[in-house]
Parts: sequence; C-alpha cells; structure tokens
Amino acid sequence: MPGGLQLFLEALSGFAEPATLASVLWATLLGILVGMMPGLTATLGVALLTTLTFKMPAGDAILILICMYVGAIYGGSRSAILLNIPGTPANAATTLDGFPLARAGQAGRAMGIATAGSFCGSLIGMLMLVLVAPVLADFALAFGSYEFFWLAMFGIVISGQLTAIDDPLKGWIAGFLGLLVAMVGQEGIHAYQRFSYGITELSGGFGLLPVLVGAFGFAEILQVMKQPAYEVVRNAGGRILPRLAEIFRYRRTIVRSGFIGTLMGLLPGVGEDIGAWGSYAAARRASREREKFGKGSVEGLLAAETGNNAAVPGAIIPVLTLAIPGSAPAAVLLAAMFIHGIRPGPLIMIEFPSFVYEVVAMVLLASLAILVLGLALTRPLLYVLAIPRERLMPVIFVLCTVGAFAIASRLFDVWVMVGFGVLGFLLREMKYPMAPLVLGVVLGPILDKNFRRAMVLSDGSLEPFFTRPISAVLALLTLISILAAIPRLRTATLRLAARFGGGRAVAGGGSGPGS
Amino acid sequence: MARSPMPRADLWAGTGFLALGAATAAESWRMPRFAQLEVNPWSVPGLVPGLIGVVLLLLGAVLMLRAVREGALRPGAGLAGELGFDAERRRRTLLALLLTLGYAVGLVGRLPFRTATFLFVFAFVALFRIERDMARGLLLRELAFAALEALLVALAVGFVFERLFYVRLP
Repeated sequence: MPGGLQLFLEALSGFAEPATLASVLWATLLGILVGMMPGLTATLGVALLTTLTFKMPAGDAILILICMYVGAIYGGSRSAILLNIPGTPANAATTLDGFPLARAGQAGRAMGIATAGSFCGSLIGMLMLVLVAPVLADFALAFGSYEFFWLAMFGIVISGQLTAIDDPLKGWIAGFLGLLVAMVGQEGIHAYQRFSYGITELSGGFGLLPVLVGAFGFAEILQVMKQPAYEVVRNAGGRILPRLAEIFRYRRTIVRSGFIGTLMGLLPGVGEDIGAWGSYAAARRASREREKFGKGSVEGLLAAETGNNAAVPGAIIPVLTLAIPGSAPAAVLLAAMFIHGIRPGPLIMIEFPSFVYEVVAMVLLASLAILVLGLALTRPLLYVLAIPRERLMPVIFVLCTVGAFAIASRLFDVWVMVGFGVLGFLLREMKYPMAPLVLGVVLGPILDKNFRRAMVLSDGSLEPFFTRPISAVLALLTLISILAAIPRLRTATLRLAARFGGGRAVAGGGSGPGS
Repeated sequence: MARSPMPRADLWAGTGFLALGAATAAESWRMPRFAQLEVNPWSVPGLVPGLIGVVLLLLGAVLMLRAVREGALRPGAGLAGELGFDAERRRRTLLALLLTLGYAVGLVGRLPFRTATFLFVFAFVALFRIERDMARGLLLRELAFAALEALLVALAVGFVFERLFYVRLP
C-alpha cells in the first residue's frame, strides 16, 4: 500500500515539531495520571480534554485526545498493580496477576511488563487500524439505511451483552435507556421537538459531553467517596526495565492478545475492558503455565495489558469508518471529531484519506510516549497514588462542572451532568454497565433516522431488513447474540456442542469477567 | 461469573423501567403524524421512540418477573442491605451528594466562579478530613490545609481554563 505508507510518513513528519511533540508528552502524561487515579477514567479524561481543546486546530486537538486515551488505559495498570484497584475499568484483569507480583516484591517488574504489554498492544492495534480501516470503509460504502439500522441494533445488543456478561438483561436495559435519552430534542426528518415540553434548552436534546461527564465523572466520584478508606501501597521493588527475552518468550500471547483486543475494540461499544478479559481468558486457556494465572503470572499480566491497549486503536477503527464508537472513550473521540468539523464515516477514505493515516501516526506517537514516560517516571509517578481522595475528588468535580459548561456556555448542561451523574451512580450500584448507555446516546439518532428512512423506502415492508445480504448477516448476528445470552438456551447449545464436538473447547464457554 | 442477585433493587428498577417504557410509548403515540401534510406514515416522529418505549417496557417486565422469582417479595436483607449501603457508606454518600449538588446547583452561576469553587473545595476537604481525623485532634491543621488547597484550586482552574485554553467559566 504505497499510497498509505506515503500518507503515514507525511503525517508523521508533520508531527515532528517541538510544540507538537511537547503536546504528545504532556497529554500522554496527563492520561497516565488520569488512568492511575481511581475515580478518573479514560472516558472522563477524554471528555474533559475535549472541552479544554475545542478552540484548538482540529489536528492538534485530536492528537491530544488520542494521547490522553492511550495514556489513561495504560496508566490504569499502575493502580491495578500497586493498589489492587483498577485505575480504569479496562485494567480490572490486570489486578489478577499484577497485584500478586507486587505483593511478592516484584512491583517494578510488573510495571515494566505492563508497559511492554501496553506498548506492544498499541502497536498491534495500530497495524490493524492501518490494514482494516481502509477495507472496512470501502465495504461500508455498500451500506444503506437497512444496514445502518442493524449495525446500531447489533451494537446495542453486543455491547449490552459483553459489558454485563453475567447479566445481559441489565446491559440491554442500559443500551435502550441510552437510545431513549437520544430521542429527546429535535429529530432529523421533520424537525419535530420530541419530549421537550416547551423547555428551550431541551429542544436540541441532551449534549453528549455533559451526559458522559455525569455518567463517568460525577457517578464515579460518588462511588469513590462512598467507600471507606483503602490502604495505599508505595512499593516499586524489582527491576523496572523489562527483559527483552522475557517479552520474546511470550510473543505468541502478545500477538494473540493484540488480535483479540483489537477485535473487541472493533465491536461497537465493547471496548478495552472486554479486550483485556478476552485476551486474559484466551491466554489462560492456551498457556502451559495455567496454574500460575491469578497468582502472579507474567503471561497473564502481559495478556491483559496487551489486550486493553490493543482495543484503543481497535475502537477507533469503527469511529473513523462507520462513525460508530468501539468503546465509551471512543464515543467522546467521535463527538470531538464532529465538533472539529471532521466527518468520519464510510466516505472518510474518499473525503479525508490523509486523516486516517494522521490518526495512525497519532497512535504511534502516543504508544512511544507511554513507553518512554512509563519506564522513565515509574518511581515519581507513585507519589500520585498517595493523594488522599477527599483532596482529589472535589477538584475532579470542579473540572466536571467546568467541562460540562464549557462547550455551550449553558448552566443547563451543568444540571444535565449532575442529573446523569446521580442516575449513573444509582444504575452502577445496581450493576448496570455504563458503556451501552453511552453507545445508545450516540447510536440513537443513527438508528432513528435509518429505520424510518428504510421503512419509507420499503413502504412499510420489513422484508428488505432480512433479505439484503449484509442486512441479513447483521440481523443474524444480532439474533445469535440475543439467543446466546439467554441462560437456558446457552446451556442447551453448549450441551449440544459438547455432544457433537466430542466435548472439546466447550469448557471455556463461560469465560469473561471474573474468569 | 455468577450474577449476584439483588431482587428488591431489581423489582424497584424493573417497575421504574416498565413505567418509563409505558409512558414513552404513550407519549410517542400522541406525537403528531402530519397527516394533513401527506407525510409518509412510516416517517412520523413517534415511531422509533414508541418502539424503544415498548422494548423498555418488556425488558422492565422481564426484570420484575425475574426479581419476584428470586424472592423480591420474601423477607430478606432489604434494599440497603442488597446494595451494601451500611450506615457509614450511607453517611459518606449523602455528604458527597449534598456538597456536590450544593456547588453545582446552588453556588455556580450565583456566586463568582472562584468564590464558589473556593467555598466548595474547602467544605468538601474539610468535612471529609474532619470526619476521618476528628479523633486525632488535627482539626485546625486540617482546616488550614483545606483552605490552602481550595484557594489554589480556585485560582489555578480559573487561570488554566480562561487564560491558557480560552474557555469560558460559569
């Protein structure tokens, strides 16, 4: 692909300026800090930085946001290893082997391995981004209203199922709540203001950023403050620089986790957490040292950290090619692209081919930055974990308030942030995942417009939804996802598979969070 | 991983989603259909929200039924017990809610941003630190530190947003 390579090199040389490189460093460092601090997630970090950078040129702003995104997903491994608390939900699998390693006096080694895994994961995801994005964009040119409707529906179903793997019903409810939230305000065909009841501020609907800052920022603050105190460990024992031989020894695990992470990122609204869990479960199944998993396995730690960082470029692929986010932080990135006048979607390779390669170059720069900063600043970064949460959380809430206000300069958005924060807190307490809700808010207008357009085109017939080839495949995938989530049907299917497949490969069917 | 059952919470939430779904479907039905403009009936604004309302109603009903089957109506741990809200967690959550809502809904927009932020950060740090350290007799020192932090945050946030990134403050 000489054209692509040339565009990539041009993008890279365009970024080789001191001011840009300085932005890469500060944004990635800020991302690592955000990821490290329990209560601050990648989604909130990207959302707050979107409000801070919306007056910058588009390229600079997106670069800063991608650095924040990559940095935060990586940074969460620090608190996972040292505190046994995942800094972001994406690092939950990291705690399983990271914390036992730290407890055994090998925290430095664990952090070095996590850094290497995150770097490799980002690189694999980046390569997949280069290879898959143009092909997917080309393929998506054949998508019509029927296909976009099913894509949105599949996104809600698969995101609801995979982010609440032990209770998909709650995942789906969260997804449909998100869709309902998106229905408020002026609709796109007749310009009718739904559910506005004469309130001027509601006529444009709820802003995505205030909703996100509430559901991911304020809700998290309440959850963190609810908990009684936790013990802070400051221990960086062991060699920090990872040994190349150790990394090379697990090359298969790295490559496998990179692929699984990217795939999970690609699926709408599934994202980094499932990228890590999926990679971890696959690594354990394939490992010759299975008994070490959960007790300080280097392979398990590598798999989790490679998987979650590979999901970052993976989640950017559908953002660029379909305008559908692969994860919650990617949803904010998508919103930021719209704010800056970039129109992602199937036409991106025709309208802005250079932008896709600029994004690839941005991911590369962010990956290099986590490698350099992660290894060079291991010990100084530990001091951040010692900041008491009662000192940190009010500052975060001030940032949430300013962030919600900044985009439209409306106090109403601050109230929206507060409302969705309280709602998000209650839903989280009852174990409803937030990612499908966010995806629903993003996909609502796509689903609405395309369903009605498709129905008008077919004059009310549902047939084309199931007979057009791509539509039929997406419909089938949606149906399979729903059926697979119904416990009795899943058990029966596994039993049948065991009978006809000789009992192989069925035992791992229940892999997922906690496995 | 096995699901941890919380039948009472699910019953309440299921009832809420069912009611929300029903209300949404009913409101969507009342939306205009622009028949006088000879608009295609499949493009009316109430179609998709109505369907979403129906799905939410069904999912809420399934959640309710499951909760009842899991013992929501039998005597048990109670709603607070199911969600792990003991007295200490309840107190901490209420304090955090009171402080944050007081700032975002009460102070912001009514007082100058820096003053509102100073008051909020000071109250938040002081109350949560005092709650923790009361027994150790660190009251005055904690108050002084809280005031210093609040002052720094109010000035720094104002400076970074307004002067460095040219973003308007509430």
